[in-house]
Amino acid sequence: MPVLGLDNVTFGYGSGSERYEVLRDASLAIEKNEFVAVIGFSGSGKSTLMALLAGLEKPDVGEVRLDGNAKSEPGPERGIVFQNYSLLPWLSVFENINIAVRKVFPEMSRSERRDYVQKYVDLVTLTGSESKKPHELSGGMRQRLSLARTLSMQPEVLLLDEPLSALDALTRAVLQDEIIRLWEEDRRTVVMITNDVDEAVLMADRIVPLTPGPSASFGPSFEVTLPRPRDRATLNFDPDFKHLRNRVTSYMLSINDESKTLRPTIEYPLPDLQPVLPSQRRRAVRTSA
Amino acid sequence: MKYKILKVIDVSGLTFLTPVVRLCYGEEPQKQWREIARFIGAPLVAFVVFLGLWTVLAPKHRTKSGEVPTPAVVLESANDIWKFHLRENAKEHAYSMTGEERQAQLAEAQERLAKLPPYEAAAAKKVAEANEARAAAVTAALEPLQQQYDERQAEIAAAQAARESDLLKQAAGLESASVDEKQAYLAAVASHLAAVDDERDELQELKGQQTEVRSQPFAPLAAALRTQTKIAEEKQFLTKLIEQLDRANRAQKATRQVASLRDQQKQFLASSGEDAYALAKSIDKSKRRIETTAESTYAKPYTLPMQIWRSVLCVFVGFLIGTAIAVPIGVCCGLSKTAMAALTPFIALFKPVSPIVWLPLALIIVGGFIPDPDKNPLIQWMENLPFIGWMQINPAFIASAITVALCSLWATMTNTALGVASIDKDHLNVARVLQLGFWERLFKIIIPSALPLIFAGLRISLGVGWMVLIAAELLSSSEGIGKFVWDQFNNGASDSFAKMMVVVFVVGAIGLLLDRIMIVLQRMVSFEGSVAAI
Repeated sequence: MPVLGLDNVTFGYGSGSERYEVLRDASLAIEKNEFVAVIGFSGSGKSTLMALLAGLEKPDVGEVRLDGNAKSEPGPERGIVFQNYSLLPWLSVFENINIAVRKVFPEMSRSERRDYVQKYVDLVTLTGSESKKPHELSGGMRQRLSLARTLSMQPEVLLLDEPLSALDALTRAVLQDEIIRLWEEDRRTVVMITNDVDEAVLMADRIVPLTPGPSASFGPSFEVTLPRPRDRATLNFDPDFKHLRNRVTSYMLSINDESKTLRPTIEYPLPDLQPVLPSQRRRAVRTSA
Repeated sequence: MKYKILKVIDVSGLTFLTPVVRLCYGEEPQKQWREIARFIGAPLVAFVVFLGLWTVLAPKHRTKSGEVPTPAVVLESANDIWKFHLRENAKEHAYSMTGEERQAQLAEAQERLAKLPPYEAAAAKKVAEANEARAAAVTAALEPLQQQYDERQAEIAAAQAARESDLLKQAAGLESASVDEKQAYLAAVASHLAAVDDERDELQELKGQQTEVRSQPFAPLAAALRTQTKIAEEKQFLTKLIEQLDRANRAQKATRQVASLRDQQKQFLASSGEDAYALAKSIDKSKRRIETTAESTYAKPYTLPMQIWRSVLCVFVGFLIGTAIAVPIGVCCGLSKTAMAALTPFIALFKPVSPIVWLPLALIIVGGFIPDPDKNPLIQWMENLPFIGWMQINPAFIASAITVALCSLWATMTNTALGVASIDKDHLNVARVLQLGFWERLFKIIIPSALPLIFAGLRISLGVGWMVLIAAELLSSSEGIGKFVWDQFNNGASDSFAKMMVVVFVVGAIGLLLDRIMIVLQRMVSFEGSVAAI
């Protein structure tokens, strides 16, 4: 039985003629301890998909299931790491994690909780920055903090909404390794959204493409069978890696072309005009006068 | 260390000190001097220019209450106000002094009083001299004017007589004259009368010049009179102080009363019948009087420093009332669009109402709740509180505070509503994922995120409240800065104009201080990305 599933979900914003349908009849099943990467073009409804999985939005049609039970409200069992970190700017690093721990594990004593929070601060190597405010941290540190906060809730499923897209290339690579390291520790179920094929191939067990919106749905998934741990330095020369990457990329490009041909092209008729040169213009004025 | 100091300066908004600190640490001296010249030098120069203009322009405008005071006069008034305060404190202290301390103080005061007569005589002499000098100067100035007047008067009288006799002569043959000639005669008489009027005005103007000379201020005399007044004030103060130390002193009074009680008791023991009854009654009365004396304090009038404290307390009470109303309502409006829609008309309707309207209403309503302040338990309780008991909180004070609250709460309310309504959706999503309940969400997410805007509103509110308070006190006669201004305006003493100007600076300085405090608080609750303090 899948841990997290999307059953024929349709979702859109607005109503009537204003309605913009983001997802139509989308189904997805995520198995336990699986690392799934959802890949799609920008504007294809990736973040909406994540909001649906997290329970922040309710599907118009269909259901979101967790362990087989329909869920309509968000909860700490589906820990989401937001694209823009969503840290509480008035709280320090320690307090940002503490607020989540306090809510999810109310039975912990004060000192237990302190140790527990510290463990997660150390886990994402933010040790020493406990009392800093989020605005004093770099982008990568903020994302690590956001990750630590989510991990501290010990969610059944970890939802990563383009967690690395706002970071520079170097920080991004470091954080990719870090996420993989954390994941390897307990192999939690992860759904990660990304727009980077390399990232998806490097990190995931399975890649699910999202067809371009509107009315997006899922394409056929690609299993990533590359052995772990995957080393980014040697991977670039691995024929399997290259092959898979090319397959995913060409598929993505093909569905993009397809969607372009599907999209009705509107032709605007242009008026039939002749350019008039200044010398001609002068003559025209003279004759009319 | 350096960065700590700079951080404190930044938070407190005293950024003009930054270059000074940097200069002390020898950081880019040239740049720092430039900054100092700009942020400290330029304001100083502007202030000096302002004082200069004031000094030059003030005496040019004369009013019914005398000349517009110059900065020097205003400064002296400030000094007088402070002196009055110190003297009243001394008298208050003297009233409750006992034993050797009292003796020593009394001796000192008497010594000081004994030293005064020579000064007094000297001052009187100076005044007399100045008066003489002035009289001489005035006579000297008047003489040519009088001469001019006399000459002109004689000229005019002669001219008038000549014109009159001429006209009489013309009138003699008038019956046989033509209509035109008669008309011309009428015109000639009219022009003669008009000339008479003009000449009278001219003479009056010449008289006016003399009056002006007489009323011209004479600086040496004014100075001499000021010195004399100062000595007289000192003498009066010392006399009163001695009275408070000696006859009117609480301990002295008590001793006398106890002695008389003893007498009465002795007499009572030796008496019988109706006498005994009368003595018993007066013994009871004496006992009660002794009790009142023991509790009594010096009836100190309000001095400006006391009034300032009372005003500050009043503005804070009003501000707290306002905040207690505005923040919860603001939060409701921010949370619920329905509440916002329901309350917006009220806010729009009441916001522009002037304090002048709220105050009488507040006075009546408070008066309704507290018909007799002497018997009201709340008022009585507050009278016995430490630190604020002496301020005698009365219905006028409460009404002023309520007026402050009603006028100032709108800024806080609208800012709170805005802050709560504009909360980042991501923060609310965090709350949803954590499944925070309503109250947790309110206190852990919504209010902290709205705090910078709430404090921005509070800062505006406090500023508005301080402005409103002075007007409210002026109207409600609640002891405070406004009352001081009103009293000065009404008593029309020679220095009341200057005292009112002192108040301008006092009010400005306290308003500035309150604003600074609010800025510091606002910066302390602000975080990156929140609305920055101005």
